[in-house]
Amino acid sequence: MSTMKKQTATQSQKLMVFVLTMAMYGLATLFTELIPKFQVGIVEFSVEYFLFIPLTLAMLFDPMSAALGAATGELVFSEIMLGQFGGLGELEKFITVTIGVYIAGRMVKDPKNRKMVGIAAMTGVVIQQLLGTIVDILKVQFAVEDFEAVAGLPESVFATEGFAFLNDVLFSGILFCMLPTLFLVPKLNGKIEPLLGMQTRSEDTYIGRIGWKVILGSIIAFGVAVGAEFMAENGTALIEWEADWAESKTALAIGMVVAAVVAIIIILIMRAKSSNYHIEEEGV
Amino acid sequence: MNVIEIEHLTYSYPGASDSTLKDITVNIEKGDFLAIVGNNGCGKSTFCKTLNGLIPQFISGDFSGTVSVCGLNTAETDVGTLARKAGYVYQDFENQIIRPTVLDDASYACLNYAMKDYKERGMSALEKCGLTGKHNDYIWQLSGGQTHLLALAGVLSLEPEILILDEPIAQLDPGHADRIYNVLRELNEKYGKTIIVIEHHTEYIADYCKHVMLMKDGNIKWVLPTDDALRRVDELQECNIFPPQVTIAAHRMKKSGKMEPDVLLPTTVMEGKDVFALKENTKVKNSVTPSEKTEIAAEFKDISISYRSVKGAPHIVYSDLNLNIYKGEKVALIGGNGAGKSTLMKMMVGLLKPSSGDIFLYGENIREKKPENLSRTISMVYQNPEDMFIKDSIRADISYAMEVRNIKDTEEKTESLLKRFRLTELKERDGRLLSGGQMRRASLAIGIALNPKILLLDEPTANLDIATRKEIMRTLNDLKEITETVIIATHDMQLVCEWADRIIVLSGGKVIADGSRNEIFGNENVVSTSGIRPPEIFEMGQTLDKNSLCYTIDEFLESFEGRRMEDEDIEKIIGKCAG
Amino acid sequence: MKISKKLSENVLDKLSIDFLRNQVLKNAYGNDDTVIAGLDPRILIIWYLFFGLVPWFANDLTFLLGCFILVVITTRMARVAGLVLFLFGIGVFSQTGYLLIVTLFFGGDASAVVPLLILTLKVATVSLASVTIFSGLDPDKLANGLMWYGCPERLSFSISYAYRMLPVLMEEFQNVLLSYRLRGNPPDNSTFRGKIKYLAYQIKIIIQAFYPLMLNTAKRSRTTVEVLEIKGYRYASVNKAVKKIKLSSMKVTNNDLLFLAISFLWVAVTVLISTII
Repeated sequence: MSTMKKQTATQSQKLMVFVLTMAMYGLATLFTELIPKFQVGIVEFSVEYFLFIPLTLAMLFDPMSAALGAATGELVFSEIMLGQFGGLGELEKFITVTIGVYIAGRMVKDPKNRKMVGIAAMTGVVIQQLLGTIVDILKVQFAVEDFEAVAGLPESVFATEGFAFLNDVLFSGILFCMLPTLFLVPKLNGKIEPLLGMQTRSEDTYIGRIGWKVILGSIIAFGVAVGAEFMAENGTALIEWEADWAESKTALAIGMVVAAVVAIIIILIMRAKSSNYHIEEEGV
Repeated sequence: MNVIEIEHLTYSYPGASDSTLKDITVNIEKGDFLAIVGNNGCGKSTFCKTLNGLIPQFISGDFSGTVSVCGLNTAETDVGTLARKAGYVYQDFENQIIRPTVLDDASYACLNYAMKDYKERGMSALEKCGLTGKHNDYIWQLSGGQTHLLALAGVLSLEPEILILDEPIAQLDPGHADRIYNVLRELNEKYGKTIIVIEHHTEYIADYCKHVMLMKDGNIKWVLPTDDALRRVDELQECNIFPPQVTIAAHRMKKSGKMEPDVLLPTTVMEGKDVFALKENTKVKNSVTPSEKTEIAAEFKDISISYRSVKGAPHIVYSDLNLNIYKGEKVALIGGNGAGKSTLMKMMVGLLKPSSGDIFLYGENIREKKPENLSRTISMVYQNPEDMFIKDSIRADISYAMEVRNIKDTEEKTESLLKRFRLTELKERDGRLLSGGQMRRASLAIGIALNPKILLLDEPTANLDIATRKEIMRTLNDLKEITETVIIATHDMQLVCEWADRIIVLSGGKVIADGSRNEIFGNENVVSTSGIRPPEIFEMGQTLDKNSLCYTIDEFLESFEGRRMEDEDIEKIIGKCAG
Repeated sequence: MKISKKLSENVLDKLSIDFLRNQVLKNAYGNDDTVIAGLDPRILIIWYLFFGLVPWFANDLTFLLGCFILVVITTRMARVAGLVLFLFGIGVFSQTGYLLIVTLFFGGDASAVVPLLILTLKVATVSLASVTIFSGLDPDKLANGLMWYGCPERLSFSISYAYRMLPVLMEEFQNVLLSYRLRGNPPDNSTFRGKIKYLAYQIKIIIQAFYPLMLNTAKRSRTTVEVLEIKGYRYASVNKAVKKIKLSSMKVTNNDLLFLAISFLWVAVTVLISTII
């Protein structure tokens, strides 16, 4: 009985952290989505990362709930609510944000230790950015056919992506992740926990070091992100048409058109009938 | 039959050294309409959370004793089953609404408990709460009162036997407050629900409730029928509860020997009719002298403003508004929820720009000015003080505006403000973590930090218990000397009557009345069209004598006294009270 | 000079939170009476899967152009808010437009342009398809649709909760920023240096604003989670019967089939044209 009680309590607390992180990070990404990015040459100055919000919360509360809340918040608020959902790319972001925030959150034993907080914040950003860069490069490689054959393209992709990575880590990472996290964690520590009815994190309540499980789990999750892209690449062959099939393809296309027209006519008739039916019904 | 039976309930929050509830034993009868009163922090809300099993099942802590609701032990029955027996409406009811549209939210719980007829249940709950026809609206389209009714409907849809409401009318204008209580009365009388409210407004308790339970320091002092309870004036006041004004007036008459000692204290205006009488030879006096109209502090010239709405045409708030506020005036802006009070204030501080027309502050057009440059002339304190706290301590919050403007002696000025508002002890605390009254005082201190010539206050007494409200009222009176021109937007008519020397009534984007309190409250036309309600004591005076205009208990005592009564009169009253 | 001017002006304009809030709300709530909004979410998700995935793998210019035109039409039908479309434009440019320039810079020639044009069309089509369904569809309906396909319950809860909380959060954020605005003292922004300073100031304020916002939201979420418990959220998330009842509110009508069939016809015709050419 008593163990059951305890579990309920932690579950509800996890939900609270999830809801809080989701709302906060979601709101922040909503705004960043709305603020245009500035490009000076190939350097992109984007206020893209409000990652300090989930980082802060992950250091104070349950890291997994905060990480999932952040990823969900971004997905829901800025992608779905604004209609900026980008398909495959979002899965990648979801997973990289989760991994980055989770690991950073797990690293901090005592939120009062500023050095630890700073290092953890930077680590979180570097992990997230690095994973993102790898996926980005792979993505362009998949999307553009004959990637290697196009003159200048591979170099340019590596150069821009590499630059973007450095730029993001140095610019967004320090300015928008590390400094704000260092500002917020000590301020919130001890104030926000009682509001949610939780204990403050300290050496005693710390859940434990990052073990192999965490690293393994992260690698598997990242594998899923990359795997999704690879699977998609294999799928290409199914839809691609070879020139030899041109004639039968025309026939196929005509067949498709006819089928579509027939379907539309049938549906229109059904629709007309059902509306008639309604009128009759009302008449009776 | 008892619907709630509690034996030796003791509870303390996790980590707390002191018990919040101490050895409570009480029974509540089915069909009761019970008001729980007590000062802040006496454990009222905690007590209510033990009734639906949130304590001890969801919020842990040390719990002992038994609580049984409709025969079910709350420590052993799951929260879902209990929710169908006892429904709880939070004080911050806005966060209780989870779904985006009205019907969805009303039927959400039923859906979660897999009831097939969840939509019908939601609809019927909406109907009971008077929200018929709103079921497809979005939550943000509702007014404050409607949102509260929706929170109630969401609870009601599970058809619980008991309804518990935590301060249901704290932020509502009287029209909406009446509506909530009428709904509750109907639920109580027509549908036989047991209703428990935590309530500070004793006039509403007198009008609607059957019993009153007084809590003090985690204990129940007594449960009594409403009239008996409210007549215990001294005891209530000791706990910072203020009985209805008529009761206090009669109590004070008795004390000073102006009323016969064996008369029962009245609790409503109706009862008051039989015990008070006009003193002979009293003249109705106009207590407020109109202020001299000197320099214009703020001028609105042909102001029109509308809000972009999400769908369809923009919502027009004002069209061609013309208004002057004079230097040194203490103005109260009144009118129902949505009459445009906040809009007017936001325009004055430059946060909203009128679509046409101009606003002048001390002769200067503010159209081209940035809000931050106006802040030494005009300052605004929000309705929700939490939005005023942007730093991690109230000291930092108070000094912030001075600091960034490099004002000399910021340190000393901050200290003196802290002292003036009795915040010195709390100066390192975060504003949000203070109690309601402290929060409000801190927000006032922040508002006047730059020593503005004009101060705007949006609902400074909302959400406060009566004792804290009195304290804020004192602070506001102090402020009169510091700030020359003050404008308050409020529903609180006691505040209006005791503080303001000019009252502006807004309705539908128009100024429908403007003048002294006698001109406003003495004018039946204005009172009925705007839906404002004068304080109870004023109503009492009016009922006894059409010409009397008394706004405070002191003024009432000057003009009225206890009625000299014959024996049959007393019997009549006793009969009435018993009936 | 020009860039920096644009830079600060842009941020300033966008920081008129009132405007942002209005656009976001318009996007989320303002178009619930369009044809697209009336369709069944499951059908639209299928539709989206096609137009969100297939263009990535097709390299035929005519086919891509056809798909692009179709999604432009559906986006119009969904009455998407202007800001979202503007962002779409920026997004497409920043994803491929810059690649084009860089490719030329590294000595690429016309051979690089065609693949990039195709890439641009792909990105544009896919983005517009998502704009159509995610902006056009009521998020709550979308959540139900996703649940039908077996998405985790937590996700669909998050979507509807976000949908409900968005206006509240925005208002709170706006109020906190207003507090900063009224009491703060931003640097003068008439000179070039001032503009840069002003921009930095704005960003600093936004970051600091999250301190009060987090505490305020923490207060809120506690009540919310308690209420979720009372209202049986946890119970429902593991109960199959509840899911069934929830999903039974969705119905595929003739309109849905018609929409699907017309899209199909359109695609068939473009395929036909591309083979004839």
